[in-house]
Amino acid sequence: MFENLLPALNNHNLPYPDTIHPIVVHFVIAMVLFGVVCDAIGYFTKNTRLFEVGWWNMVFATISIFIAIIFGQVEAGLATPYAAAASDLNLHTLLGWSLSAILAAITGWRYIIRLKSPDSLPTTYLGFNFALTALVLFQVYLGDKLVWVYGLHTEAVVEAARGGLLQ
Amino acid sequence: MTALLALESTLESNGLPYAIPIHPNLVHLTLGLFIVAIAFDIVAALYPLEKPIFKFLAIPVTSAGLYDVGWFNMVAAAIVTFFTVAAGFYEIILAQPPQDMISPWGLNATDTMVWHGVGGVLLLALIVGMTVWRGFQRYLWREDRARQVEWSYLLAGLFIFVLMFAQGTLGAHLGGDFGVHVTADRLIRAGLDPNDLSASTRLSKAVNAPPIEGSRDIGPEGS
Repeated sequence: MFENLLPALNNHNLPYPDTIHPIVVHFVIAMVLFGVVCDAIGYFTKNTRLFEVGWWNMVFATISIFIAIIFGQVEAGLATPYAAAASDLNLHTLLGWSLSAILAAITGWRYIIRLKSPDSLPTTYLGFNFALTALVLFQVYLGDKLVWVYGLHTEAVVEAARGGLLQ
Repeated sequence: MTALLALESTLESNGLPYAIPIHPNLVHLTLGLFIVAIAFDIVAALYPLEKPIFKFLAIPVTSAGLYDVGWFNMVAAAIVTFFTVAAGFYEIILAQPPQDMISPWGLNATDTMVWHGVGGVLLLALIVGMTVWRGFQRYLWREDRARQVEWSYLLAGLFIFVLMFAQGTLGAHLGGDFGVHVTADRLIRAGLDPNDLSASTRLSKAVNAPPIEGSRDIGPEGS
């Protein structure tokens, strides 16, 4: 019933020119990784100015991950994943939602640390940063596979799927 | 030449010596760091207007802290982008794009790669230039000013966003339309099924096989 309200799907099976999720995730990947680097350098050099940079990058990453998930769900729904791609897409979805909760919790913790003792970071927090980095890198690897190995939303895959050649 | 052949003999079915392209991953860092650097400088420059919002959110903010993000993120963007461009050129050299199609912008694959390569060098120069400009403002010209950046710097940043959008769209055409270094697209174009686990091996064998010179022993007679 809503089909007629949506723009027609193009040759990437999208209602807009190119995928948006891989653009929004710039602001999760880059900000988490750089925030963690700033925290680590600040911790070892006692440069508290870098803690402020780490904190704001984490805030930006946390806002961005929810926008990334919205576009991710839309584009996963339109991805026509074939058999080989399905399990990696499922894992990417599961880890994406989990990361939103983990990232929000870590940033919330950071908010409290910044209020109470802005000039120091607990070592445990750095440990969580490290674990977060590992999860983000694995999530990037899964997303990379979906785009660069399985070619979801690329012209050739969409064409093959529409022709019933790829299921 | 021998060295090049030795390298090519280890290519995967995406045409690269590794399973996943590196350039698009470094692009996350270049774009994320640059855009957030400019965004935080804009937020910092407009800080007097935003004070009530941050107070409502109960987030203590200093404009010095926001400018720190603008500076350190820009420095990181400049450093990372050298590697982004280097990886990009390496992967352009190994690209084998289809020659029988044009992009939504009316360019063929080679022209798209040339423009994307030129754009990459241009953006690297602009990002490094912006970093130097930002450094002079921070440590020399505006050290004692409340507003650490000139409006013209922020405008230049917004203009570079537009160039980045064009550059990113060209890159999206290379991956999403031409299927450069996309394993599944290369399999489909070679007539193989991406669901078939042995297809990748067969394609990389074909890619790595030495070219056969001389007359063909298959195909129509007399050709």
